[in-house]
Amino acid sequence: MTAPRRLRKELSDLQDSTIKSFRDIKADDDNLLRWTGLIVPDNPPYNKGAFRIEINFPAEYPFKPPKINFKTKIYHPNIDEKGQVCLPIISTENWKPATRTDQVVQALIALINDPEPEHPLRAELAEEFLKDKKKFMKNAEDYTRKHCEKRPAD
Amino acid sequence: MADGNGLPAGAASGGIDASGQTVIRAAADSSTNTTTTANAGAGAAGVASGSTSSGNGSGNQGYHQLSVTIEEASLRNNGFLKPNPYVELLIDSKSKRKTDLVKNSYLPKWNEEFTVLITPNSTLHFKVLDHSSFRKDAMLGERIIHLAHILQHYNGRCEFLELTIDLFVTSKSQDNRQTKSGELVAILNGLKLDMSKVQIQPQQQNGNAIQAVNPVISDAAAAGRSCMISGGVRARMRLRSNSNREGEMPAATNRSPVPNGTVDARRSGAAPIWEQQQQQPSLRMVNGSGTATASYPQQQPPLPAPIQANHNGRPPLTQMYANGVGQTADNVTPAAVYMPTVMTAGVGGGGVAMGMGEAQPGGAVLPVSQTSDPQLQPQPADDEPLPAGWEIRLDQYGRRYYVDHNTRSTYWEKPTPLPPGWEIRKDGRGRVYYVDHNTRKTTWQRPNSERLMHFQHWQGQRAHVVAQGNQRFLYSQQQQQPTAVTAQVTQDDEDALGALPDGWEKKVQSDNRVYFVNHKNRTTQWEDPRTQGQEVSLINEGPLPPGWEIRYTAAGERFFVDHNTRRTTFDDPRPGAPKGAKGVYGVPRAYERSFRWKLSQFRYLCQSNALPSHIKITVTRQTLFEDSYHQIMRLPAYELRRRLYIIFRGEEGLDYGGVSREWFFLLSHEVLNPMYCLFEYANKNNYSLQINPASYVNPDHLQYFKFIGRFIAMALYHGRFIYSGFTMPFYKRMLNKKLTIKDIETIDPEFYNSLIWVKDNNIDECGLELWFSVDFEVLGQIIHHELKENGEKERVTEENKEEYITLMTEWRMTRGIEQQTKTFLEGFNEVVPLEWLKYFDERELELILCGMQDVDVEDWQRNTIYRHYNRNSKQVVWFWQFVRETDNEKRARLLQFVTGTCRVPVGGFAELMGSNGPQRFCIEKVGKETWLPRSHTCFNRLDLPPYKSYDQLVEKLTFAIEETEGFCQE
Repeated sequence: MTAPRRLRKELSDLQDSTIKSFRDIKADDDNLLRWTGLIVPDNPPYNKGAFRIEINFPAEYPFKPPKINFKTKIYHPNIDEKGQVCLPIISTENWKPATRTDQVVQALIALINDPEPEHPLRAELAEEFLKDKKKFMKNAEDYTRKHCEKRPAD
Repeated sequence: MADGNGLPAGAASGGIDASGQTVIRAAADSSTNTTTTANAGAGAAGVASGSTSSGNGSGNQGYHQLSVTIEEASLRNNGFLKPNPYVELLIDSKSKRKTDLVKNSYLPKWNEEFTVLITPNSTLHFKVLDHSSFRKDAMLGERIIHLAHILQHYNGRCEFLELTIDLFVTSKSQDNRQTKSGELVAILNGLKLDMSKVQIQPQQQNGNAIQAVNPVISDAAAAGRSCMISGGVRARMRLRSNSNREGEMPAATNRSPVPNGTVDARRSGAAPIWEQQQQQPSLRMVNGSGTATASYPQQQPPLPAPIQANHNGRPPLTQMYANGVGQTADNVTPAAVYMPTVMTAGVGGGGVAMGMGEAQPGGAVLPVSQTSDPQLQPQPADDEPLPAGWEIRLDQYGRRYYVDHNTRSTYWEKPTPLPPGWEIRKDGRGRVYYVDHNTRKTTWQRPNSERLMHFQHWQGQRAHVVAQGNQRFLYSQQQQQPTAVTAQVTQDDEDALGALPDGWEKKVQSDNRVYFVNHKNRTTQWEDPRTQGQEVSLINEGPLPPGWEIRYTAAGERFFVDHNTRRTTFDDPRPGAPKGAKGVYGVPRAYERSFRWKLSQFRYLCQSNALPSHIKITVTRQTLFEDSYHQIMRLPAYELRRRLYIIFRGEEGLDYGGVSREWFFLLSHEVLNPMYCLFEYANKNNYSLQINPASYVNPDHLQYFKFIGRFIAMALYHGRFIYSGFTMPFYKRMLNKKLTIKDIETIDPEFYNSLIWVKDNNIDECGLELWFSVDFEVLGQIIHHELKENGEKERVTEENKEEYITLMTEWRMTRGIEQQTKTFLEGFNEVVPLEWLKYFDERELELILCGMQDVDVEDWQRNTIYRHYNRNSKQVVWFWQFVRETDNEKRARLLQFVTGTCRVPVGGFAELMGSNGPQRFCIEKVGKETWLPRSHTCFNRLDLPPYKSYDQLVEKLTFAIEETEGFCQE
């Protein structure tokens, strides 16, 4: 099987890098097109936990963008109940074959740390975020504690 | 009775005698179950009242009725004479039941149902024996099943529970070793017990699913032949309607074609139901039968993850499923196709009425949805039951996903029950298909909402099909002049052209006129096939007048620029040239470009190759597709050029043209049904059709493409229209034109944008890691392609990227559809030689194939939007003035230039679609007056430069819409 070299390179680059907020990056043993990793956000309310994501690359990568999915439930205006996230950098209009996965992940981490309630996927959370930040923070923190994965020790 | 530890092997070694006779034990010998013995019997009997008949006098002893259907077996071929197998069934070593014997078969089918009395702790002993008239009947394989295991796994329910049982024989010569000798399929039905009130024998008390599933052959052997209790027994809930009505259905006939010795994949797929009560549903080993499965649900599209490339160069036939590791090419399971086969005949029979009532398998509930284990239901379960054969699982992150064991695929979304009137079935090879009783059609693919939406869109057209047909027109044939008489190739040109193509012959008429015979198609024509449709460079051209210049359009067509007046024209300005310079057809070039003239040329060829007499095609409306397919494919292709005489059964009337017009229109709509998976919509909202690379899931797809090729050629030949057209790149293929990067935009804008990005940017610095090799995915399978020899090893750089882009373009436009296209063209060429099309460009081809339509200019104008113009801008006013003043042909071509099709949606211009949804006709101010108009068919947008006068606008617009490419600028 000829795994796309681009992905192999990107994967090893990412694994070698020391991004604190994205770790435990692996591809499936039998499928280089499917990666998982652990998002470790810095900002409250998400800094209480870590979130597993899945990145799925199309066979035609990098001619078509990857898709990102949250495997850990998260209380976030830009991520829906199914774990789908709308990230402009991988949208059809903006995608460029030169966009690298680490850029995509950086954009994702930025979005997690600073929600964009103007472009919500979950309108009710966006509203809560804007109107009652305190309540949102509390709900999100509770939710994080309940569902998230453990943050790595270091 | 040993064994507090609950290991079945231990239980077996301690508890059961060598002949496999398990005795009914007093329920009281369980010390772990808190239910009392008294309750067990009474409770079970009480609960069973629903589907189990307990009233036969023995109900008070905890007996229940169970229906056991012995369906079939597949026995190991021993190489001697074929056996005459029959099955003996013993319940608790008593009450022997026998099936009839099947003669001379390794794949016997009995389909015999027995009703037996059982207790929850009964054993079912299945023996397959070979009947012999002279000797004692020989054992072919046997197996004892402990009902308690099954009841535990299925929470007391046996309803259409299909068991696939590995049969073993004990070899006398090799120290009583047990060897597998075949498989038996049996159905248990009609038992429903309340497990909380059932007393299970201690030996099975703790037997959890994992242990029960793993065969412990060695221990079993030690204990004699009786104890392969659960290892190698696979169970699944079967859809009721299948086993009910089609009890004769050979449920396991697809077992034999598996060459690698693994158990048939469908069986393996069924197995995981055993495991659904495991705590870690994401890692699965099924029975150790070599079918290690790793079910990873993927993102949409929900194709299963374990994907392997197929490197052996042949078209991939195997579909990869989440569980389908052991599958082979013979085992193709359809996933994405309507199956336009004669199967409908069966459906149309007596089964229909019944099928309607039972179409929704709502009652067949998977046990998992009833489980009380809270771990399995972290989210509140929906009330709605899963369809039969579906299962909920959790991945390693606790996310819920759905497994369809019928097709062995996984989905994130909860399956919607089949729509009303749909039914799931299996064909003779065990492949799942779906029957839509509403339309009496079958499909390979489970109908989901998107597919149904497309289908409904398609179906919604039906009401308009005939009405539309009456609105389409081209020029009436009376207007044609036999201009072809002038089309002669002079003898001088002859030698330079080389040999005639294969199968052609040059002949001379009695009046010395040369003509050409195409023996392959049995056609004749005046034109030389070597020059047909091509521009032949004119020799001895004089100098141009001062201030004039020759230029070429992107399509390579010559035009003339007059810098004195700043105008362009196709007419040669040289003295004598404007009227005198003849094109290859001997008529003025300007006239040659006219669609009307090209059409008359084509019609002339058709008429001069007409055959006498007629052919009759008799069809029934309900089976239009099948009837037409068989009759068209049965005839020699050239016969299809005879006059057509179409008869709709039961509507006898004379076909003076109206009937065949209707037939073409209806059948084209039917044939291009996107659900057949032969063709697909170009993209989400572009309803032009292109060949579907996944069409191979339909085993006969090439035959159908040949048929459609013939049919489309017939439409052209007989001057009839088809309902909806193909994509522009497809027409270009028919015309054997080179496809360009721009063609990708119309079918895959995302891919196009990336390719353009590569073209426009310096790629050496951005780590693209592109090589001359590419992958794409069809039905979950990755197909690898080397763009050139050793492309794998050649990196794409700034230097060689032009070559890369060219190769990529070629690959993108042909991947996965080469064979289909070839067969389509073969079918076409048998009826109408492809050379005849060479007069036309792709847009004209669509015009003659689909016809034109009166365009409602008011509606058009009302539903047009403007960018950087407004409705009162000079240019906009001129534009509409032009549209009103011009004829229908120009209007249709203008529409086609901007929207990609000459047809208006049924609902008018308000419903015009772009590649991202509804997209109104848009006129945007772009560029300078010296530019030509451009179009973006994806967005239905016309870029109209701010021309200075009405005349200028008309000239540029006319030029643009007559140009094939339409993107050139001065």
